[in-house]
Amino acid sequence: MKIAIRHDLSLVLGPGVQRGVEHLLLTPQSGPTQNVLGWTIEMPGIETAATFIDGFGNRAHLVSQVKPEAELLIAVSGTIETIDRNGVIGKPWGDTPPALYRRPTAETKPIGAITSKFRTAPRTGADRIPLLHALMTRVAEVIGGPEEAPAQAQSQTGDDATHSQSQSQSQSAPEASTTEAAPRPPASAYAHAFIGTARALEIPARYVSGYLALAEDGATALHAWVEAWDDGLGWIAFDPMLGYCPTDRHVRIAVGLDAASTPMVRSVPVVSSPENRELSVSVAQ
Amino acid sequence: MSQTPPFDEMHNADGTIREPYLILEEWLKEQPPQALSLMSADAESLFRRLGITFAVYGSNEGTEKLIPFDIIPRIISAMEWRRLSKGIEQRVRALNAFLYDIYHRQEILKAGRVPEKLILNNSAFCPEMMGLDPTRGVYSHIIGVDIVRVGPDDFYVLEDNLRTPSGVSYMLENREAMLQLAPELFQRFKVAPVDSYPETLRRTMESVAPENTKGAPNLVVLTPGIYNSAYFEHSFLADQMGAELCEGQDLFVEDGMVYMRTTTGPERVHVIYRRIDDDFLDPLTFRPDSMLGVPGLFDAYRAGNVTLVNAPGTGIADDKAVYTYVPEIIEFYLGEKALLKNVPTYNCTNDEERAYVLDHLEELVVKEVHGSGGYGMLVGPASTKQMREEFRKKILARPDNYIVQPTLALSTCPTFVEKGIAPRHVDLRPYVLVGDDVRITPGGLTRVALKKGSLVVNSSQGGGTKDTWVLED
Repeated sequence: MKIAIRHDLSLVLGPGVQRGVEHLLLTPQSGPTQNVLGWTIEMPGIETAATFIDGFGNRAHLVSQVKPEAELLIAVSGTIETIDRNGVIGKPWGDTPPALYRRPTAETKPIGAITSKFRTAPRTGADRIPLLHALMTRVAEVIGGPEEAPAQAQSQTGDDATHSQSQSQSQSAPEASTTEAAPRPPASAYAHAFIGTARALEIPARYVSGYLALAEDGATALHAWVEAWDDGLGWIAFDPMLGYCPTDRHVRIAVGLDAASTPMVRSVPVVSSPENRELSVSVAQ
Repeated sequence: MSQTPPFDEMHNADGTIREPYLILEEWLKEQPPQALSLMSADAESLFRRLGITFAVYGSNEGTEKLIPFDIIPRIISAMEWRRLSKGIEQRVRALNAFLYDIYHRQEILKAGRVPEKLILNNSAFCPEMMGLDPTRGVYSHIIGVDIVRVGPDDFYVLEDNLRTPSGVSYMLENREAMLQLAPELFQRFKVAPVDSYPETLRRTMESVAPENTKGAPNLVVLTPGIYNSAYFEHSFLADQMGAELCEGQDLFVEDGMVYMRTTTGPERVHVIYRRIDDDFLDPLTFRPDSMLGVPGLFDAYRAGNVTLVNAPGTGIADDKAVYTYVPEIIEFYLGEKALLKNVPTYNCTNDEERAYVLDHLEELVVKEVHGSGGYGMLVGPASTKQMREEFRKKILARPDNYIVQPTLALSTCPTFVEKGIAPRHVDLRPYVLVGDDVRITPGGLTRVALKKGSLVVNSSQGGGTKDTWVLED
């Protein structure tokens, strides 16, 4: 499927800033599930930005400005051709060793109500994939479920909103509030719960930030999901918020240990989440 | 081990003088009664003039102190040094190979030679470093290996210190002081010089400049500032090698490059000897509240536009829990047996070993896995019952946070104390530079525990230093 993306972000650095420095993880790379047909980032300083591959294999930009405007506008646009592989990413050459993604982080603490169910479950060989599917379902129940959800959801979104120090998160999800029903927890909450449990079970799991075309079920066009490791198939993607393996509607932007290691924009001066001025992820002809 | 009498570096068991010390013994005999006291007083005023001080954290006086300097040099023979330096070189080569591997394909983890969790779940492991190729594959360029001696040929490595080892300025100043205080001694001995260290440091840094450097690379020393306990050393080294001393605010990142503000406009910086901890290097990548670092510095490093000396994430190789695997690491990468010994180390997460440790605290040394500088440490033989009780609780609460070693009978060297010359325990920190080659300055910093019987040589805990002589053939 061909997906056209237009994403305008605004960073309010404030007046009188001498130098702005930004780290961008806003560039998709071609891989087993997608081909990048075209991609541009427009913003002050982008012409002389340094670009490099970060520790997790993502394409990153280091952008800087002298005496930037109080508000920095970033305009991202491009077209991606996606391929539905039932979530199977495989074992791309030169990828970071999967073992790295067993490292626990502050954001990916295992949740007892989920982990307890799988502690004794067989998880090697042919048992791995059914286990991951069961885990995906359980995460949706616990994080999105009507009973347990509110406390969970509150703390997650509350964190995001107040944590201006914790560097701009991609999952500020302004659209969530426009849906009529009570807002669902952000996709990052599902992803972190999945990852925390997988790692507690010694299964490598990583966070994926990206875009979602034809967003539904309370998900937003700015989305997050996970990839978990299977010795046979390699990396397999799971979308615990939507409850199925990512399809050709998912556009992969960056992977990392958690949301904190895959923000689309980080900046100094530190600002809270960038504002999404315009965001459209549509199926192109 | 604590029962055997310590090895005396000057005297044989029968009271005769060991060969490297023969000339010194003669010289000491020739000195008139008050000469050594006068010399010691001279030394103190000399160091005061030079302004070499250090700050002691957590001390009530909270002020700058002078590290006591002992006027009697420690002497190492050429043969002893050759053996020792070979062992050190082997260690730093293996540890740099280890760092390259764990930040790339992690073969040693796949081979099961070092437990995967110990590395990948370790807070000293820096995932941001994955896949980065530092110039010449060197991660730790400036190393200070802590070594103790327990017998004529018995050297143990205590710590590898691959992050930002300090103290090299004392090594240089101690020699300078000895040359002024007792020039005649240097005519009787052929002592290997140490004064080329700053020049060698410069050459080492130049040899690891980014590949896109045009012309002579611009080198700087990055300091956290005047409140840091080692500020004197930072300014001393910058001055000695002719590099600028910078604080974070003196540098900035533009167009992916690092620049220094100067009165004549920005100047590109190619190699940074940073004396700021990883966490504080760059608020864009690491701690966002860091005021000491340079925003964008790590990204510029990843983009290959600047070299950080030492690289971030080297702490994983000198982590106290990883230490026990160094002999394994040497075998894995070099296919050789370790030339220098490791101190046997008890692992408190193992039930049996922990039980032994808790039963024998009065004869063991307990160290925090991430501690340094002699802080947060228990020296069993010198501890009180209350201190041992405190550590018992700490170990039980967090067994993985401590390593425990037997108390080593550190060798002694003749030391000038109030009552004259007496043996005092010493250790040794040789300084190693790794760039286009491995270069070890002959000798290093000898630290001496000035209190009779004390085994704690840290300057923050009442230790002093000595000039260290390596004799030439």
